Amino acid sequence: MDITVKKIGETEKEYIEIGCHKKDERIDEIIRFIRSREGILKGTKEDRQYSIALPDILYIEAVDEKTFIYLENDCYESGRRLYEFEEALVTRNFARISKSVVVNLMKITSIKPSLNGRFSCVLTNGEQVIISRKYVPDIREKLRGGTV
Amino acid sequence: MKEHLRAQLAGFFISVTLINVAMFVLGNILQPDLRFGYEAFAYPLIYGVIGSLPGLVMFSKKELTMKQTIIREIIQMLLIVILIITFMFGRFKSIEYEMIPQIIAVAVSVMIIYVLVNVFGWLIDLKTANKMTEELKKYQAKASGK
Repeated sequence: MDITVKKIGETEKEYIEIGCHKKDERIDEIIRFIRSREGILKGTKEDRQYSIALPDILYIEAVDEKTFIYLENDCYESGRRLYEFEEALVTRNFARISKSVVVNLMKITSIKPSLNGRFSCVLTNGEQVIISRKYVPDIREKLRGGTV
Repeated sequence: MKEHLRAQLAGFFISVTLINVAMFVLGNILQPDLRFGYEAFAYPLIYGVIGSLPGLVMFSKKELTMKQTIIREIIQMLLIVILIITFMFGRFKSIEYEMIPQIIAVAVSVMIIYVLVNVFGWLIDLKTANKMTEELKKYQAKASGK
């Protein structure tokens, strides 16, 4: 397998392209490895543990005493508390948007007003998640370049 | 709680403005010859305060679902109607037949004002949401190196 590394301009988005005959387990493994370089979280599903790449996560939600990690078409449970995720992901593209949700800002397509003075964000899979008014100033601060 | 109070305060000022409009329109229709003293300036403020009181019903530490929010909004609106009507007509020992159109007009006005306050609040939020979406797009472009 040939490996080509091409230097691109500072303004261009970095990318990795894989040329293959068939997308098999070997290719999936390479993709998982590349994604893991951007950060991973551990999640469980049906008693099996999985590594979840941060860019794949839509949002993390606390329901009662449990914490769930939501992906486009999947959901994993985690033993960590929501505030632990909030602290761990503060320097990443994640933000706390309500008492029970930490969202991946890169997965939001738009923000809309909701009832009762709240907002809701539409995610890339069409799902809508509520933003509490309390967290709006912190989210805006982060979007403007702060580290909240 | 702080955010809730801030929203209530914004609602109060929008209500006072709309109550002024309602008093002007209803007064001209129902009792065009009636004259008031300076105390008339206080009425919109008093009605605004009365209208803001049931807002406490809306406060909840829990994140309410859409259904719960709608139910609470309806309860709040009905409470405001009852409070305003009680304040305006409570001093009368019995309700005369001629007062019924006035009571209905006040109730309808209160409901219209309530809906309008929410619509104005929503429009302000829409502006904020659009700004946030713009900021978000810039953030995403920057974060993905575009």
